[in-house]
Amino acid sequence: MTTLALMHDDNTANDPQRRAPLVIGPQTDETVTDSVCRVTEEVRTPRAWFVALVVSAALTAVFFGTIGYLITTGIGVLGNNRPVMWAFPIVNFVFWIGIGHAGTLISAILFLFRQQWRTAINRSAEAMTIFAVICALIFPGIHMGRIWVAYWMAPYPNQMALWPNFRSPLMWDVFAVNTYFLVSAMFWYLGMIPDLATLRDRATSRLRHSIYGLLALGWNGSARQWQVYERAYLLLAALATPLVVSVHSVVSTDFAVAQLPGWHTTIFPPYFVAGAIFSGFAMVVTLMVPARAYFGLKHLVTLRHLDNVNKIMLATSCIVAYSYAIELFIAWYSGHSHERFVHLNRAFGPYAWTYWLMVACNVLLPQLFWLKRCRTTPWIMFLIALAVNVGMWLERFVIIVVSLSRDYLPANWAMYYPTLIDVLMLLGSFGLFFTLFLLFCRYLPMVAIWEVKHVLPREEVNHGRTRA
Amino acid sequence: MSNTTGAEKQTLLPATTAGAAAALLVVGLAGMACAAALEYGRGDQWRYFLHSYLVNFCFFTSLSLGALFFVLLQHVARAGWSVTVRRLAELLAANVVVMLVLFVPLAASVLAGQGTLYPWAAPHTAAADHAIEQKQAYLNPTFFVVRSVGYLVVWWLTARYLLRLSLRQDESHDAALTLSMERFSPLALILLVVTLTFASFDWLMSLWPHWWSTIFGVYYLAGAAVGFVALLIIFTVLLERAGPLTDQVTAEHYHDLGKLLLAGVAFWGYVAFSQYLLIWYANIPEETAWYQPRHGGPWGWMSLGLLAGHLALPLVGLLSRWPKRNRLSLTFWAVWLLVMHWIDLYWSVMPAYDPHQPPWALSDAFCLVGMGGVYLGALIWRCRGRSLVPLGDPRRQEALDFENY
Repeated sequence: MTTLALMHDDNTANDPQRRAPLVIGPQTDETVTDSVCRVTEEVRTPRAWFVALVVSAALTAVFFGTIGYLITTGIGVLGNNRPVMWAFPIVNFVFWIGIGHAGTLISAILFLFRQQWRTAINRSAEAMTIFAVICALIFPGIHMGRIWVAYWMAPYPNQMALWPNFRSPLMWDVFAVNTYFLVSAMFWYLGMIPDLATLRDRATSRLRHSIYGLLALGWNGSARQWQVYERAYLLLAALATPLVVSVHSVVSTDFAVAQLPGWHTTIFPPYFVAGAIFSGFAMVVTLMVPARAYFGLKHLVTLRHLDNVNKIMLATSCIVAYSYAIELFIAWYSGHSHERFVHLNRAFGPYAWTYWLMVACNVLLPQLFWLKRCRTTPWIMFLIALAVNVGMWLERFVIIVVSLSRDYLPANWAMYYPTLIDVLMLLGSFGLFFTLFLLFCRYLPMVAIWEVKHVLPREEVNHGRTRA
Repeated sequence: MSNTTGAEKQTLLPATTAGAAAALLVVGLAGMACAAALEYGRGDQWRYFLHSYLVNFCFFTSLSLGALFFVLLQHVARAGWSVTVRRLAELLAANVVVMLVLFVPLAASVLAGQGTLYPWAAPHTAAADHAIEQKQAYLNPTFFVVRSVGYLVVWWLTARYLLRLSLRQDESHDAALTLSMERFSPLALILLVVTLTFASFDWLMSLWPHWWSTIFGVYYLAGAAVGFVALLIIFTVLLERAGPLTDQVTAEHYHDLGKLLLAGVAFWGYVAFSQYLLIWYANIPEETAWYQPRHGGPWGWMSLGLLAGHLALPLVGLLSRWPKRNRLSLTFWAVWLLVMHWIDLYWSVMPAYDPHQPPWALSDAFCLVGMGGVYLGALIWRCRGRSLVPLGDPRRQEALDFENY
């Protein structure tokens, strides 16, 4: 199949007179179904996939091992200490929640914007979203220390007359993130039902047939089902859209409602949302560049898709840069000595290297995406995306840890250093994330088959439209 | 494809509108003169007049800025659906040059060092106030005027370039011009957002020279987007009826414009709420100072009015499918939101004049009619002899064909 594509594998040219094809080569319904389903139907375990899975699973074991150690020993195994009471766990939480923003943006907002190129990448981006939110949800949970009372966060009538404090943004977080998780999981699963039915219908073994059959919920592809289905999909997209904005806005209020310079500034909500989308798209590139090559999906996830993703990264990088700049300007303009200090401390204090590395990764390197060559060369975008992942993690470190380490009272200042457990937990969370993603690639339809069929070039001819 | 002369003639404004442009200009100048005459009697060194003038100046500028933002965004996104309404936005954006002329009274007042509008502009205030003294490198009359003129010139040149290319395409039908506009737009968009941010800092935020808010530029941008989309809807409805846009727009275009209006309303609410929540919650006196006069009394009612009128009601009203596709209901919400956008700016500026209550005066109406007359007169003048649809755009057929699902 991929050999067909090799003839014209570049669909990135821009001709205002016609829209570029979103698949490469003469694709039909059958070839699309085949190339996606084949990945899950291959009987022999792909070797590189298996090696990657073993490594990730090992890291996952480290993750849960360190969590066990933390719960049995106490929060003192982490580097958190006065005045830096929020450190790696919250940095990791915000980092993973941010990653989890690309999926819903692609599936909901780009859907409402009629961006048809989303069809080839939405499924994997949504999966990534859910796995990232799982990683994110773990961190505040274990950061509480007494994990066995986590259920106190739920508002339920009880004999202790305890009720969550709804004036606390931490409580808003619980609801925002859980809602987000539920809605994205629903959206992901709903979108997958027709494709699960395809897998069911193609199954050759009884076991596959019953598992995919169970998951497909009796889908038979009747016109009536499609009619109801597409309406439900549109409604869910509309419901998910405000969530894309609200979740990270609420996360930003964890910091911005405080009075701490470096945390309290009004641009935080939109700035956090832009940063989240930025990091989420970086993760999409990090995952899809290897996956499309390894699983033979280059003709569906084309260079044009990656080109567009990289443009969104460039745009969000510029928004993030705008926020950095406005924060700096207003810190000076305010004439407020503490506001001014916190920015000087970021740039020239003991953690200056994190700040400058962050600026390099988030602002300077993505500017390479102005060049089409960088937007359409897989290895270049892969390296830039990796740098953005690093940069966006550092951004949260700079905001959270560096601001806390030097607040109003110099007598209260102290440096923060992570412990080995902190570092292992961060690595371990990547293990969990990659384990889940690798399992997804092998056992579920990685590309939305039914949606890609909608954007095959023949569709336009069928509608009798001429694109002048 | 359909580049016959008949189609071109059809998309022009009727010849009678030249008279309308002249009449509007006369009405505008007369309105300004009346406002000035009324205010001369007040003897407050034009203090009230300048505040009222600033509200309208920011209002009409924001309409052009929203238009420029829209045009740039359409090129960045290579949009097809909006082609048939894009020319109106291009013309509105280029109309910003009028604001360059209308900036003269503001520049004169600041350069005179009176401090009647901007307290920091008076040398004695700045010298007596340590906080203002610290920002004098930025907040000083000369730099303020240089910056403001700079913003306006940048906007005008950007809009003029895009309009010229687009007009040239009407004749040549050259698709390469689309590529030129698409290449130009991303950088221009960045330039626009940055200049717009600082313009909002200078013109609106520095009315309270002690106060700051990092989201303020986004707030002005959100309001500008709402105001512009509302105006575009009104123009489209009128021009569809009058002829130039007949057969160029369908219910699908109104549906999409309605979605943009709804998105703008939600975005404005989001930004306004973010700013308010964070300042209210942290409760730091330097920051709450801006909300303090708007929090109770008559200004407080206006704040609540904005919450309902600029957010809650239109959000509900525009949510369904039919109000966006029905020209009448969509026009209603467009007019409503245009008024709300003006009230939002009034609410942003006027507490600087009187922190206790809205100081309505007859000259407000004259000032609005006056500046509106000049702005609209110049706009119609600009439209003369020009097709109101980009006839040569390669994606025009796509715009005519498209359907919402």
